[in-house]
Amino acid sequence: MRRARLATLRTAVLVAAGFVALRVVYRLVFGGGDGDGILLVALPRVPLAGPFAPIVLFGPITTGGIVSAALGALPFAALIVAIALVGVVVDLRLLLTRGAVRGPIRSVARTLVIAWSTFPALRDSVLRVRVARELRGERSLASLIVPVLEQTVERAIALGASMEVRGFAAARRPEPDCEHPVIMTDAALGFDGSWLLEAVDLDLAPGTLTLVTGPTGSGKSTLLHAMSGLFQHHVGGAQDGAITVGGADRISTPPRETAGFVGVVSQSVRLSFVAATVEEELGFALAIRGVAPSIVRARSVEVAAELGIPQLLDRDIAVLSAGEACLVALGAALVCRPVLLIVDEPLADLDTAARERVVGVLDRLAHEAGVCVVVAEHALAEWGEVADARLELAEGEVRQADCPAGAPHRAASTPAVAGGLEPTARIVGLTVAYGQNVVVDDVGFDLRVGEVVALTGPNGAGKSSLLQAVARPTGCETVVIGGVDVGAVRRRTRRTRRQAVALVPEAFDDLLFATTVATECRRADRGAGSGAAAPGTARTFLAFLGITDPADARRLLDRHPRDLSAGQRLCLVIAIQSSARPQVLLIDEPTRGLDAAARALVGEALLRAAADGAAVMVATHDRDFAARFASRTLELSAGRIRVPAQTDAS
Amino acid sequence: MIRRPSWTSWLLGATSVVAFAGFAWPLLADAVPGEARTAVPYVALALVPALVVAVALTLDREMYTARTVALLGVLTAVGTAVRIAGTGVGGVEAVFVVLILAGRAYGARFGLLLGMTTIALSSLLWGGIGPWTPFQAFACGWVGAGAGLLPRIRVGSPKAAGRLEIAMLAAYGVVAAYAFGLIMNLWFWPFAVGYGTGISYVSGAPLPQNLASFGIYSLITSTLTWDTVRAVTSLVGIVLVGPAVLTALRRAKLPAPRMATPRSSAPRGDGKRTRRSTAPDAAAVPPTARHPSEKV
Repeated sequence: MRRARLATLRTAVLVAAGFVALRVVYRLVFGGGDGDGILLVALPRVPLAGPFAPIVLFGPITTGGIVSAALGALPFAALIVAIALVGVVVDLRLLLTRGAVRGPIRSVARTLVIAWSTFPALRDSVLRVRVARELRGERSLASLIVPVLEQTVERAIALGASMEVRGFAAARRPEPDCEHPVIMTDAALGFDGSWLLEAVDLDLAPGTLTLVTGPTGSGKSTLLHAMSGLFQHHVGGAQDGAITVGGADRISTPPRETAGFVGVVSQSVRLSFVAATVEEELGFALAIRGVAPSIVRARSVEVAAELGIPQLLDRDIAVLSAGEACLVALGAALVCRPVLLIVDEPLADLDTAARERVVGVLDRLAHEAGVCVVVAEHALAEWGEVADARLELAEGEVRQADCPAGAPHRAASTPAVAGGLEPTARIVGLTVAYGQNVVVDDVGFDLRVGEVVALTGPNGAGKSSLLQAVARPTGCETVVIGGVDVGAVRRRTRRTRRQAVALVPEAFDDLLFATTVATECRRADRGAGSGAAAPGTARTFLAFLGITDPADARRLLDRHPRDLSAGQRLCLVIAIQSSARPQVLLIDEPTRGLDAAARALVGEALLRAAADGAAVMVATHDRDFAARFASRTLELSAGRIRVPAQTDAS
Repeated sequence: MIRRPSWTSWLLGATSVVAFAGFAWPLLADAVPGEARTAVPYVALALVPALVVAVALTLDREMYTARTVALLGVLTAVGTAVRIAGTGVGGVEAVFVVLILAGRAYGARFGLLLGMTTIALSSLLWGGIGPWTPFQAFACGWVGAGAGLLPRIRVGSPKAAGRLEIAMLAAYGVVAAYAFGLIMNLWFWPFAVGYGTGISYVSGAPLPQNLASFGIYSLITSTLTWDTVRAVTSLVGIVLVGPAVLTALRRAKLPAPRMATPRSSAPRGDGKRTRRSTAPDAAAVPPTARHPSEKV
């Protein structure tokens, strides 16, 4: 830090020297070089014409002229250096961090702190979108800037919500009624005159864990955030009936004022991190209340110990794994010892080990610490013995349902498509290493047209790295598709590469940048060229969704791509990536965050793409999905492929 | 967001006028009586930073909601990244594209603050803090605020109005690029050139003479080079990414101002209830209308 500030000083000295030099140049060019001392050069005087008549260029140059010009510039040059010196002595970043907590410019200071800590995320986002753009074969400016900006705005909204529920800018902090964490009486929730949920009656007790289930769009988040207050105060939803949380009326009490007794863990935990380190993140809610730093620190350490993550305290927030990030977000919500803890789909990104850990923590909080815990989730299996009650949302109503028995529902249908004879793609000796760390180790397999192959394995097994390496191979003779060595295809002939292999990355939204679905499809068609017998991206997309009515189709195509549901968006990206009719279509984690209906939609789309003449490979940790839609499974563990015996259907 | 000018609007307007005087001091100094005239440059150098602080203090209270601060924060990061990246590729300053589009989407105050925070952060990170920083902050703030003050377009179809808006913003981008260069040159010109040259600022000289000198100075320093590059970048940038970026920004609305009246519990629109609670303590009101979502 100190060295960086000294570098600033050096820059300032250089700038000041440049300033003096420039002043000398002005003096010499505009006829002011004359003076005492030795005559150096006797340039002729060149008078200007027109409105600039009195101005004369050049003229004799003397040492006296130069010295006087340089001396005249010194006061301002000194000012430049002096201001830089202030910057060296004063740690402006520390000042900002302090100013963001209290004082008359805390919003501006907080703005700058957020901007500062957003930088790494912004850089990652640009790098990711650049890869996505290459995968789509796009080179336009918009295809880079729009996804980055969308991610930025998404982060802003998540961040705003996260600051709000942790008490940022709270004017008052009412005392909670700990015996009644949530009471809803004949409540209705909706937007602009149409109700999403109606006739909700709830009375949740302390020391219980309530599970909220239902398909995507059924209102799980709405119900949760009607409790946190984000629904009424942050996203502009309307409420009828009565909702009180810890005795506070939810309509008149914004989330920031209940931050002391309502903890919230949002769906996208990474987007909602406010600070740069884990310790700062854990203590944020206390720090902005003006609690003394030593107490904030002690409490952060205490929470970290409770969650079994003391080793993470000094860690940079950006390098946490999915499971660690979830625990840190939980810790940040627990730091004020909430009466009510609201957790929105905590398990979506986690592998089995991390899931068990998070469920265990929530279990202890409810049944040992006496917190009222409310969890929205569409995977029920993990919650078997833990949940005390389950609320099922369907058709605008909240129903009490049985608690899950602990047995995951098994998909019944069998793999549909059998493999062809000749392998379309041959992957030989593929290795991916980051420095010393070998992620994929000398892997080889074949893919055939018409089959859907599932690539499974735990988090961090190298599934994504493997797919990336197949789509953008760096070595020669490792990926051969339809007789073409993809690694040897030059960048110039991107189209050839896209006709061989296309990848839908996990962050598939990165590929979208137009303002309507129709434009998005047209761009894809143009990028794919006149391609023989290509049915058109829009047609493929509509076929994926099973939409035949022209009016419905028109309405869908006129929408903003980001207003589509997650399942529809993924289908759109699959259609876009299929536009060049690739022989191999790779999809990374297509089921993340999707409910059963959306998974089925995407699964059917994959089967259709396979039937249309592609070899499809899906990386997933969702075994049900793999069992239902894949014709065979490859398991990746520790960078090597195993073929599980029982599911090897081919 | 706010229809009637509030006292903060007047205050911000007055601050901007005084700050502009700080920029234009070489042309206004003659109005000052003789002995005090030598102090004018120093007053200008001290005045503008003080006014930046005044603007920050005025707007801080108003910006004090979580979402506004979050949006302002991440957009400041974007603006700073664009500015620093631009320095790397030969001064192609695309930061105006961000300022203009954000100012347009979120209003003049947001634009003003975004310009200032972007300059503050990029100067902090890049190490370019100097006497010019407050001047840059104001000038960039004005660029963003100006986009927010441009008239709303309400002609023809939404599509036509959208195109016209982009055309207006692109034209504004060109004007703003040159205007930015001119006012930045204006306050700095006497310092940059010094005395004793043909284009020096001469205190007390007739206005046409000073204007001619300033014209030459401005032409050779930036108008023909940086400002033109900036104008072209802004024009091309706004035309290329403007529609998509404006849509993206407008999809994330700013919250209503903090001082707004508390929300009513009644939904907007005709949100009539169809189902009532069957719980014993629920209000016994019969269904009044069909479910709004059933409307065709």
